[in-house]
Amino acid sequence: MKRSFAGATFLLGLAMVILGAHAAAAQSPPSAFGPPAGQQAAPPAFSAPPKTVPPKAAPLQARGPLGGVLGWVAQTQQKMQRQLATAVKRLKSGNALSAGLLLAGLSFGYGIVHAVGPGHGKAIISSYVIANEETVRRGILISFLAAGLQALTAVALVSLLLVALNATGFQVNAWVNQLETVSYGLIALVGLYLLVTELIRLWRRWHPATEAAHDHEHHHHDHHGHDHAEGEACNHIVDARDIAGPLSWKKVLAVVVSVGIRPCSGAVLVLIFALTQGLFWAGVAATFAMAFGTAITVAVLATMALGSRELALKLGGDDSRWVDAVWTTCAIGGALVVLSIGLLLFAASLGPARPF
Amino acid sequence: MAHWAHRGRQFFLIALLMAAAVTGFASSVAAHPHVWATVRSEIVFGPDHKITGIRHAWTFDEFYTAMAVQGLDGNGDGVYSKEELEPLAKVNVDSLKEFAYFTFVRLDGDEKFLPLKPPVDYWVEYDDTVLTLHFTLPLETPLDPSDKVVTIDVYDPSFFVAFGFAEKAPVKVAGSPAAGCTANVDTPDPESAEAARALSEAFFSQLGPGSDYGSQFAQTVMVKCTPQ
Repeated sequence: MKRSFAGATFLLGLAMVILGAHAAAAQSPPSAFGPPAGQQAAPPAFSAPPKTVPPKAAPLQARGPLGGVLGWVAQTQQKMQRQLATAVKRLKSGNALSAGLLLAGLSFGYGIVHAVGPGHGKAIISSYVIANEETVRRGILISFLAAGLQALTAVALVSLLLVALNATGFQVNAWVNQLETVSYGLIALVGLYLLVTELIRLWRRWHPATEAAHDHEHHHHDHHGHDHAEGEACNHIVDARDIAGPLSWKKVLAVVVSVGIRPCSGAVLVLIFALTQGLFWAGVAATFAMAFGTAITVAVLATMALGSRELALKLGGDDSRWVDAVWTTCAIGGALVVLSIGLLLFAASLGPARPF
Repeated sequence: MAHWAHRGRQFFLIALLMAAAVTGFASSVAAHPHVWATVRSEIVFGPDHKITGIRHAWTFDEFYTAMAVQGLDGNGDGVYSKEELEPLAKVNVDSLKEFAYFTFVRLDGDEKFLPLKPPVDYWVEYDDTVLTLHFTLPLETPLDPSDKVVTIDVYDPSFFVAFGFAEKAPVKVAGSPAAGCTANVDTPDPESAEAARALSEAFFSQLGPGSDYGSQFAQTVMVKCTPQ
């Protein structure tokens, strides 16, 4: 799916590049479609006098069984990033409509591929939805809200610092790093909160302090058995959502904010690049198209996570204890994953400042 | 009976979830590049034919370049002068120290990397499109390459920066090397035992929390001054 989409984007880009080649000939970077660096000696007829062509790197290659895939992902991103740069520049000099469409399409594709890497809340959102009694629809909603907020943060940060305060690119970078640390800290807190609430729920169930709490859990438990006797795993989620009720919206918001407060570095780079080309609005449009792409990747993964939980529930047949064990394992496991990823990334983000 | 069957499934489920969690970790920590740098390097030899250091030229992609030069045109004349870009070069080389300059030098077969001194002769070059960082990394003690092949890897372990050697003239020898010294980017032979070992190492670095994730993309420069 992803590969064929990237392929389609690639073909679209190729068509556009061929159509608009005359506009880009002067300054185009060594793109996948551009002439190889060595060809500058024999420039095409319409080319401007050659500048020093930047050196082109040999393709990245990873070793190992997954090497091919990883190399492909990295390589595709670079290709897309270069095409993005060309598309932004073409907006100034070429056909604005075709360049705009190309930019939007490329950003969307870049978002989809980019989200395969870390920092877009894939693992967090997937773990959150399986730890909580969330529906597929909510998983998708959370993915889109988080990606949208990430885009907003990026646009707000770059507008404020660069457009309003005339700061340097490195100051923006420093802010991105700060927000990253805050985001990871919040993620760890969300994980801790999930874990504690789940443990309290379990403790209450095994040590019924009050009759009321006991009754409630008992009822809940009965319901599992009942649902699965009918082979209707989905009913459970509907019921659970009613039980979770308004509280879960607070949790949803916490997850969305903790993930979304960190702007995607890819979006920040596109925004700054667009700004330096005098086309900030194009960067903003690209950022949102990109967020749409990342949201789709994250939503697909969250849905897959929910699907595997459903599968695990079905494995138990009509055994209510099995169903109960699956829910408990998902809840505690998911909370633990959110907590440990949050802590791990938080610790890593406190490391020395990156040179680039 | 039923109880034990239940237990077994419970264990199975826990194992399944742990596997899922590990995969989640791997994919979440495994970085992807945000910056691309094309590397050209010169291996600098002293008068005594020893390697004294490495002279790097790293050319960055357009996006990183835009970010890096943003706001540095102090007098607003649209031209980034050498003076205006100097702080950038300084910040870059200063913070490179924490990352071992992304340059890993050792004698072939050795475990340990050789210590490097802080960069000298550094500056950035900006041609309105891309930025190139030039700097020379002196070895703490000059290295005699006549007995063993010297290997130099350039990579970012976290893979935030994707370093790749230039397609043309990626590496050359400079200064006064002994006659017959060559420096080439090594294309690993997938059939060799070395490659098989690297393969299994890479496999684990792809699974584990990827502090060394970028190493699998590393390209190695081989400096050969050994008699054939």
